[in-house]
Amino acid sequence: MNRTRLFGWLVATLLVAACGSTGGGGGGNANSYSGKTIKFGAVLSITGAGGVYGPQSRDGAKLAVKEINASGGVNGAQIELTVEDDASDKAQSQQKAQTLITSNNVLAFLGPTLSNSAVAVHPLAESLKTPVLAVSTTGIHIVPDCKFPETTPCKYVFRDSLGEETAIPANIKAYAADSHPKTGVLLVAQDDKFSSDGGTIVQKTVAQYNIDLLKTIPFSKNDADLSPYVTQAVQLKPDVIFITSLGGIPAKIMTAARNQGWQGQFLGGNGFNTATVSKQAGAAGTGARSASAWYIGNEFASNKDFVTAYKNEYSKDPDQFAAQGYTGLKILADAAKRANLTFTDTAGDRDKLRAAIETVNIQSPLGPFQFTSSHDVKQTVWIIQMDGAGGFKLVHEVKAS
Amino acid sequence: MYQQIVNAIFIGSIYALFAVGYTLVFGILDILNLAHSAVFMLGAATTYTLVVKYGQVFWVASVVGIAASALMGLVIEHVCLRPLRRRQAPPIAALISTIGLALIIVAAVEQGKQGSLFSWLWVDGANSVAFPAGTIPNPTWHVADLSLDASKVVIIPVSIALMLVLGYVMRYTQIGRGLRAVAENPRAARLMGLDVDRMITLTLVISSALGGLAGILFGVALGDISPYIGRDNVEVRGLAVIVLGGMGSIPGAVIGGYLLGLVEIMALVTFGSSARGGVAFAALFLMLVLRPQGLFGTRLRERI
Repeated sequence: MNRTRLFGWLVATLLVAACGSTGGGGGGNANSYSGKTIKFGAVLSITGAGGVYGPQSRDGAKLAVKEINASGGVNGAQIELTVEDDASDKAQSQQKAQTLITSNNVLAFLGPTLSNSAVAVHPLAESLKTPVLAVSTTGIHIVPDCKFPETTPCKYVFRDSLGEETAIPANIKAYAADSHPKTGVLLVAQDDKFSSDGGTIVQKTVAQYNIDLLKTIPFSKNDADLSPYVTQAVQLKPDVIFITSLGGIPAKIMTAARNQGWQGQFLGGNGFNTATVSKQAGAAGTGARSASAWYIGNEFASNKDFVTAYKNEYSKDPDQFAAQGYTGLKILADAAKRANLTFTDTAGDRDKLRAAIETVNIQSPLGPFQFTSSHDVKQTVWIIQMDGAGGFKLVHEVKAS
Repeated sequence: MYQQIVNAIFIGSIYALFAVGYTLVFGILDILNLAHSAVFMLGAATTYTLVVKYGQVFWVASVVGIAASALMGLVIEHVCLRPLRRRQAPPIAALISTIGLALIIVAAVEQGKQGSLFSWLWVDGANSVAFPAGTIPNPTWHVADLSLDASKVVIIPVSIALMLVLGYVMRYTQIGRGLRAVAENPRAARLMGLDVDRMITLTLVISSALGGLAGILFGVALGDISPYIGRDNVEVRGLAVIVLGGMGSIPGAVIGGYLLGLVEIMALVTFGSSARGGVAFAALFLMLVLRPQGLFGTRLRERI
């Protein structure tokens, strides 16, 4: 009798111990994570046209890795982040993503910086069943239809950056309410997906606010001599010049237009939202408006802490791209924590991570963060304007509808 | 409209200056030096690096930039052309070898990042950068309805003066006569006691120095310096210019440069901005069909 009871207790004890070690409740397994390494990657444009955005995304993500690893890692596992520069080139971007997935065996990766490259990289990640989180791609057909014109939703592609489809109309709406412009001209880099998507959005939006789009002037992002295009725009004397382009181009257009004596309003998209562009434009950019996913002056703790940590680390202010890169890495880390990773089956772990990313719910510098059912971000939009000295001022706050 | 003509003259000057170097080599050697666009970029990149990284005054940096480009002319001759000439390789071999050198130069600059092997030459990788504000005084003048940036205005006299000097040298000096002799018949020139190799080296050095200067002016006026400025902005246009003006003709390259600048702007104004890029090719094609020798091209001996 005693032996039977003893045996019963033994079995019960073993069962309880076994339940404990499988974690349960989605909390991950601290023991099996401890001492392990979680490999993440990032394909970013450190150089080339996207080089004014990519380095900040990288710095933001690296800061997040440093903070997480310093505070004990993800259930005891350390994060290793491999950053690859795609030189803003679509082919290189795809090649670097392939290397990260197949050679480096990353569980998930951030990027690429440019929408133009995303159309090559995201379908690749989807086909290789590796989660990818876009931290700065704002064009159309990024999520969920990453294989557009195919409409099947991509299961492995997520985005934490504010799409131009939300940002540009919000910006135009706010400015139309403030100043009632009558006419506009659009300068659009036609050979870049991000820019041409932005142009399409401007064209679709202006009529709603009674702005007559006098002319659309397409140009090539490789054209160094932008003066003839700017002259064409300025001679039409529009109230607004819309610029949808990348890198230093908006700044060059602003400088050329002001030099030619034009005094109207510049409106743009995410391409404006970095201190580099604001600094390059200098006084010529004063008042140029755009809608941003993030604003440096927000007082909530997850933003204030991020801004302080970034300044301490890099001795400069973060920008939207840094905030999105930082948030992106925090999202992956949070998902990894809950994904109950095995560290032996990469394909299985990628799938578990993908499922966990869908249910992310964290406080971030962008505000409370969750994904929509189509893997996109839903958040407050901040209308900002360049201050002429390399920074931005907040003009309006547009709550998520 | 007048502002657009001013824009056309600015960019036309750069095309002309670039194409003069191109056409000079073609006139003497009968080959296209496709490394010329890389030399154009090298002039701008070296000057930028000297100003930004090594804190040099712009004028000093420019002189070194032009010298570096001229030096690259020597490399082109000794690495890409002379060995092939010795083996009497066909012109296509020289064309390919200059393309190879161009790719190497562009790749070297592209790799120039902080901490890399080429960081002494360039630190911005594939980035497009501009000289920091205040590197040279660059006021904007307003004349009537026109706005004129000083950095662009200065290109015009510099280009014209250089082209006149080159024209004078070619026509009235001992060196010019030597070069023309080599252009007409290298064997006869050699028999007459001319050092043909020296003449060819000199041609490459002059041509590359002009290419480097064009690159520096381009970088200053358009605020755009990257490893790709030669390839993206002047390489094919330079070809169109020398075909328009007549292969090997210096006045042809000058007129062709301004003409292409004007035609591009006219196309932009008339047919919209998308037409601009295609115009160089259309002009090249039309000229080849209608007048293959170009505007100023005649017989070989009158090329230069």
